[in-house]
Amino acid sequence: MNDDYLWDKSGPPDPEIKQLEEILGTLRYQPKPFEAPAPRRRSYFPLLAIAATLLIALLAGGIWLRVRTRDEVPPQQAAVPGKSPISAPPVEEKTAPTPKPQKRLAPREQNVAVYRKRRNTPPALTQHDREEALAVKQQLMFALRLASEKLNLAHRKTQSMSPANQIKNQHRVG
Amino acid sequence: MKTLFHINIRTPLIALLLIIATGFVARAQDSRIQLASLDHLAAKANQTVDVAIDERLIRIAAKVFSDEKTDEKEIKQLLTGLKGIYVKSFEFETEGQYAAADLESIRSQLRGPGWSRMVGVNSKKEGNLEVYLLLNGETIGGLAVLHSDDKELTVVNIVGPVDLQKLAKLEGQLGIPDLEIEPAKPKTKNDEK
Repeated sequence: MNDDYLWDKSGPPDPEIKQLEEILGTLRYQPKPFEAPAPRRRSYFPLLAIAATLLIALLAGGIWLRVRTRDEVPPQQAAVPGKSPISAPPVEEKTAPTPKPQKRLAPREQNVAVYRKRRNTPPALTQHDREEALAVKQQLMFALRLASEKLNLAHRKTQSMSPANQIKNQHRVG
Repeated sequence: MKTLFHINIRTPLIALLLIIATGFVARAQDSRIQLASLDHLAAKANQTVDVAIDERLIRIAAKVFSDEKTDEKEIKQLLTGLKGIYVKSFEFETEGQYAAADLESIRSQLRGPGWSRMVGVNSKKEGNLEVYLLLNGETIGGLAVLHSDDKELTVVNIVGPVDLQKLAKLEGQLGIPDLEIEPAKPKTKNDEK
């Protein structure tokens, strides 16, 4: 077998090599004239999907907040008898013979104040939960008291010791 | 295709391993001490106290602490961030009811990484008292107190960030037998209203 054919195609080719060349030759690069691909239409679907998702999330959040606010704060009427504060012109309010108390809040402010107060208040516990919580509280207080006692005892003991002993007893482990 | 498959598999696998490793590290830094090795002493003890309050129970209990009473407010603040409080205390009729191995089972855990023995007191009258802290850098990640004398063995373990000054202050505030009874307070103007 002549290996020169494999390197520079000189000399007689080996029949097997020739056969392989014929088989693989079909897969050889075929020069073609350049064809510019047709311009693809840009798909806006992903952008639209993201925008729609954000919109739905915003809407859902808004609705949830609104429902929650409505549930927690019942609609309240202004306590001012007679004219409503909205329809009353500001000039009349100033010239009214009976001045309003200055600290009275507007209905909207009252609602906000009530809402904030309720929001800060923790949800009420059920009877069972409260009993459990009180039982745990007692255990907790006992454990904390015990820990506190022991810490104070250690503190007292270390204070009553001489400085040399204190240093001796404070060393790092691990 | 094979390379792509390898890349696709490798990334989540590494992430998973990282998560597992983080879990192990977090577990290693956990300041919870296993106190079950002392359970057998309950049979010999005259009086046993076993308190095991995990994070969930602490949260439940925190709900019944008042924000308006100063002492309860302080305790509530102290409880913030705590992950557990565990106490085992045994009082015996006679001496020598517990072995050195019982103490060693606790001490061996306190020799782990992060734990430091801050105080060790050996007194004939008061017995042995050791205070250990789990230090996470500058912050305290847990506390363990080991107190033993001839007739008593007590282990207190607080898991989570502890404010030692606040805790030490509590002794006076909580020295009340019935914890539901409020201590007598001088009436203020606000109370009268």
